Amino acid sequence: MLSARDVEHYYGRRRVLEVPEISVRPGEVLAVVGPNGSGKSTLLRILACVERPSRGTIAWRGQPVKSAAQLKEIRRRVTLVEQHPWLFRGKVKDNVRFPLELRRVGAAEAERRVADSLAMLSLEGLAGRDTRELSQGEIQKVAIARALACDPEILLLDEPASAADPRSAAALYRLLDQLRARGIGLCLASHQLEEAYRWADRVVALAEGRPSPVTPENLFRTEIPEGSGPRRVQAGPLELYVLTDRSGPATVAIPPEDIVVSTEPLHSSARNQFTGRVLRISDDGRGRVTLTVDVGTELVARITKQALDELDLTVGSPVVLTVKTMAVRVF
Amino acid sequence: MDFFGDGLRRGLELILGGDPEVLGITFLSVRVALVATVVACVIGVPVGFVVGTTRFFGRRALITVLNTMLAFPTVVVGLIVWGLLSRRGPLGDLGLLYTWWAIVIAEVILAVPIAAALTAAAVQGIDPRVRRTALTLGASGWRVHWLVAREARFALLAAVVVAFGRVLAEVGAAMIVGGNIRHQTRTLTTAVALATSQGDFPLAVALGLILLGLALTVNVLLQLLQGRGDA
Repeated sequence: MLSARDVEHYYGRRRVLEVPEISVRPGEVLAVVGPNGSGKSTLLRILACVERPSRGTIAWRGQPVKSAAQLKEIRRRVTLVEQHPWLFRGKVKDNVRFPLELRRVGAAEAERRVADSLAMLSLEGLAGRDTRELSQGEIQKVAIARALACDPEILLLDEPASAADPRSAAALYRLLDQLRARGIGLCLASHQLEEAYRWADRVVALAEGRPSPVTPENLFRTEIPEGSGPRRVQAGPLELYVLTDRSGPATVAIPPEDIVVSTEPLHSSARNQFTGRVLRISDDGRGRVTLTVDVGTELVARITKQALDELDLTVGSPVVLTVKTMAVRVF
Repeated sequence: MDFFGDGLRRGLELILGGDPEVLGITFLSVRVALVATVVACVIGVPVGFVVGTTRFFGRRALITVLNTMLAFPTVVVGLIVWGLLSRRGPLGDLGLLYTWWAIVIAEVILAVPIAAALTAAAVQGIDPRVRRTALTLGASGWRVHWLVAREARFALLAAVVVAFGRVLAEVGAAMIVGGNIRHQTRTLTTAVALATSQGDFPLAVALGLILLGLALTVNVLLQLLQGRGDA
């Protein structure tokens, strides 16, 4: 198990990360979600021990990592694939073989593992290709194959599907499922919440470097006007009633579980009501359904499978989303 | 104009005729420059590497010192080295003053900051992902530095070439600590100065042309390297 405790990280004087505790366990997929700039990549780099946090400790199997020897050990077992991976000059297969050379794996064995790793990402055809001729999506795949050649116990992936077409993304997530079944611990940074919820066992949401008290769906940066009591704020294209003591710049969030989905407008006490169409429906197979609705911006609502069936919703159905003022979180 | 034309013609004759005096001075000059460049790079490149890749207390001060030393007047370096090596100086017993080793020492002092500052700039310009990628794939210690250096190889070679160019063209320090002794410490630059003052214009022109040719070669080399760095 790989964990971070009381980690803080500063760029200059700006604190970009403040995480009291996070851990990646074998055979489990942890998704770290949040908007761009929320600290996901920094957290992954710190977990991979390629960036030293300003404060706090990284622990491997419960032992705090302190000595250079421990660092070396953890880097051999934990591998990071960055969102925009760096490939060394040369051929694809040279890149995948590189970690094996570092581990002094014999030539025949290395050849086999390079072929295996490339095959897992359906990259056999690119083995002899120069890395400068690859597309961004291919670069990400090669970097994942290279990471798999390391035979890691923990694999950290930063937005691994960001440059992938939908079919490649689906193939990638199936691969992650296989890796999980083999007992590899996976940590996935993503801003694609539906995917995170669909494929991850646990989800940690980051907002401005901190684990957020709410899930990071339906997050909006806004400016709260002076005053007290309920106020109307602009949340992206939406006008939203919020109740808060604060004013000035803030983040507002609508928890997906607190959205009422209906086919007709409701006559109720709730002050926020939006009409739109269902864009996507994702079923987690455990009775929970996540709806993505286009109401001028994308809002995510979570309802039960039964409710979905009773409302008879499909992609494209017109729906009304209703949220109480007090359900809107401000932080 | 005749004076120039005549000087140029007779200068070329000296070069093409393989005048032993001219050849001897050229070889000595190149030898001094090569040795000084190698020594300066052996010291300066690792210093620049550390300054460019690690964070430590006093790093900014060191960068300021290096950049100041880039503009160090060469005669001042000559003066300091002369003081150190002169018979009454702290290193006087070594008997190095007015030998070509004295010139090497002075040139090394001038070239180390160039090698260090350009190396630091070169490795700072390298994408931080190179180091992170090497680390996360299991590389450590020298292997990581080697990978970063490999990515910066053209810029590093350029640092070496610039250092060589400076050492080759330097005159003030070479004159002071070498003494411009014929067959021993007379380099291209000091010989040009002497020949000019003695009125041997053709010899000065011949040596000047060689110096120019070497500088041109060095700069063409540098441009080729920089061009490849962009590719």
